[in-house]
Amino acid sequence: MENQLNQDIAQTALNAGARVNITWRSMNGDLPDPVRVDASDVELRAMITEAVRTGSVPGIAADPRADFTDFVLDRFAPTVVRPYHLIAIRPKTPFGAS
Amino acid sequence: MKRVVIVGVGALGSHVAMFLRNIDAKLFAIDDDRVEQRNVASQFHGKTGVGKLKVQALQQTLDFFFRLRIDISHSRLCDDNVEQLLAGASLVIDCVDNGATRRVIQGYVRRVGMPCLHGALAADGSFGRAIWDEQFIVDDAASGAATCENGEFLSFIAITAAQIAHAANVYLKSGVRNGFQIAPIRTIAV
Repeated sequence: MENQLNQDIAQTALNAGARVNITWRSMNGDLPDPVRVDASDVELRAMITEAVRTGSVPGIAADPRADFTDFVLDRFAPTVVRPYHLIAIRPKTPFGAS
Repeated sequence: MKRVVIVGVGALGSHVAMFLRNIDAKLFAIDDDRVEQRNVASQFHGKTGVGKLKVQALQQTLDFFFRLRIDISHSRLCDDNVEQLLAGASLVIDCVDNGATRRVIQGYVRRVGMPCLHGALAADGSFGRAIWDEQFIVDDAASGAATCENGEFLSFIAITAAQIAHAANVYLKSGVRNGFQIAPIRTIAV
């Protein structure tokens, strides 16, 4: 039963595409529309950069100098708690601040 | 009794220990560093701890405020001692400040199938993570000063530490592994 539920979630999530979450200069927002789950890193970086530069991301002020070259792209498969694919672009997090 | 090992008790780890003070588990803190004056601004170490080992200062603070007894080890985790220090842990919480030690932790917990929660911060205080090992990739070093340098990000460090402690608490009670990505204005389940 649990497997069936997970398969259903997985198929629905695949069809729905991935939500893209962006962190830029302490601001955070999602792309307005989902993207293909299999979009490449290059495609995603271009899409995200353009969106932030033009102010198309709710929650993130337009920044014509936005540059995500040194940022990390994480891809999270759907879970029961979060039943959709999540792609997150974020700054590197090297510190636990020891 | 369950045993929760916190590796690194600086800004994140010291606050995680403080937030975990009520859990039904024995805490074990590992760190090789000493408390410096500048640490007091952003870490759960007081002025009376300056000059002491961080694990010793934390042990004394938790005992003084909460009558909580924790085990400590003044060590730098490495390949030679990782087995000795982490063996038998119910949960490992990684709050270190360098990729090399994170890789040692990750290598060990993956080898033995031990649950591990990684805490991490961006240098500019713009992002924090509470991520279970199966989703965690060690970031290469980034430019910028460490988040704990001047206390500017204390409140965000505490938010991230609280999310780590919350994820640990839920796991210890139910076995559910919730991870979080934390921006100053938003927290996302991952």
